[in-house]
Amino acid sequence: MKHLKLYRICLRTAFSQALAYRADFVMGSLITLLSNILFPLVTVLIYANGATFPGWNMWEVLLVQSVYSMSTGLASMVLSSIVWVTMDHIRGGSFETVLLKPISPLFFIMATNCDVQSISLFAGGVVMAVISACHTGVAGIGAIGSFLLLFVAGFMVLCGMDLIMAAISFKWVGNSRIPEIFDSISNFGKYPLSIFPQAVRVFAVMVIPVAMIGFFPASALLGRLDPKAYLSIIPCALFMCFGIWLYNKMILLYEGVGG
Amino acid sequence: MKKLLHMWRECKAVAFVTYKEWSAYRTHSLVSVFVGPVYFIVQYFIWSAVYGGEGTLAGMEFSQTIRYFGASALIGYLTMDFADWNLQMLVRTGKFLTFTMRPIHHRFFALSQKFGHRVLGFFFEFLPCFLIFIFLFRIDIRPVSTGWTLLSVAMAFLMNFYVNYCLGMTAFFLVKSSGVRVMYQLFAQIFSGALIPLNFFPDVVQKIMLFLPFQYTNYIPAMVWTGSESIGSMGLNVPEAVVLQAVALGLMMLFSEALYRCAIKRFTAVGA
Repeated sequence: MKHLKLYRICLRTAFSQALAYRADFVMGSLITLLSNILFPLVTVLIYANGATFPGWNMWEVLLVQSVYSMSTGLASMVLSSIVWVTMDHIRGGSFETVLLKPISPLFFIMATNCDVQSISLFAGGVVMAVISACHTGVAGIGAIGSFLLLFVAGFMVLCGMDLIMAAISFKWVGNSRIPEIFDSISNFGKYPLSIFPQAVRVFAVMVIPVAMIGFFPASALLGRLDPKAYLSIIPCALFMCFGIWLYNKMILLYEGVGG
Repeated sequence: MKKLLHMWRECKAVAFVTYKEWSAYRTHSLVSVFVGPVYFIVQYFIWSAVYGGEGTLAGMEFSQTIRYFGASALIGYLTMDFADWNLQMLVRTGKFLTFTMRPIHHRFFALSQKFGHRVLGFFFEFLPCFLIFIFLFRIDIRPVSTGWTLLSVAMAFLMNFYVNYCLGMTAFFLVKSSGVRVMYQLFAQIFSGALIPLNFFPDVVQKIMLFLPFQYTNYIPAMVWTGSESIGSMGLNVPEAVVLQAVALGLMMLFSEALYRCAIKRFTAVGA
């Protein structure tokens, strides 16, 4: 309860801060929104040239990609700062200021660094998902329930990824390219899983469950979900737990001299 | 001749220092050895599925498309640039002042820095990925015509630098030019052909792209690398495409010089 109250206050502060520089906020949000519109362009161009992803029409693929945008938008808003703020503190040797706070360092960083601008990425994803769903249709109320459940699982995967990235930065000091490693892997979650070979599918479902970020929730909405997909929620939860454990473990490596 | 020799010495000295400076962050470059091949694998599966049994799409065969993406990734390592970020930071903080007092043009200094930085990129990004593509993925990524490819990539290298330098110069007018830079990067990602070859775009868009700098940094060199016989909507052959790239580069250099003369008058040297 105390944490919720604190988070609400921090969120309000983050919004006030963002609105203090309204032009920057609007410009940044517009750019994010535009990037969101351009992201599915590859899919549109592929279909415009008469090609297809076998078994998937254009709107179905766009739905997968819009759900992916929604997940990453939400994660970016709530979690992405963990990586950059942790990295900056370690490089600058100022992580003590976080450790001295009478609250979990992880929660403190997450609550005090909400990226409000990413709201446009999430909103853009929602709009695109609604447009795609209007063309594909939704399998029913039950499908929406499944979608929400799997969407939360996808969020857990992104949470795990951000925490692992932040944890790595305790050892691999000052490498701003760590997020690129995970970005490249999460690309497997942007497309229908059926286009990848079996080994990649197992990896994307069981090892780093990136299929849960876009593919599985969208499949649930379309009524194309294999019931076995619900089992993938377990690796998602485990992945997030591993991220939390690793982050807290890696804090012990902090030396406080900067990098 | 004496002046050229002097410039070469200056360039070598700055490039060497930059190389040594960035060598301290070798693992920073080595991230590409993982990221590049993973992106390539994703592209491989996407395009395998898209092509299915079809022979050609947008005038490109499957093998050519795959080689295009491989070449595109490798060209990216050779031409990568952040002169825009550097220059806008120098202008915003006022540190550019120190360069106005040095007996070397800042643009030449920045270009020399880029040479040093990319030599490092050649050893720690380009070469490992090139070998991974050939020996691990079994893709014949060797350029069809080495001479034309070297020329085209060299011009892409300069084009990328001059475009980025111009973007950096917007800081003389806007102080903080991050919005312009992000906007450019967004369009460059799409229209340089890094995500999808420009052949897939409608004819009108391809024609408009002839007048913009994006395709000269990636699409044309990648097509030259793969030895395409018909580049873009105009169906250019390799020598024609390289000549077009040279014309575009010349215009960009002139524009950069004009913009510099205009921008330097606005420099107040006090930072912001």
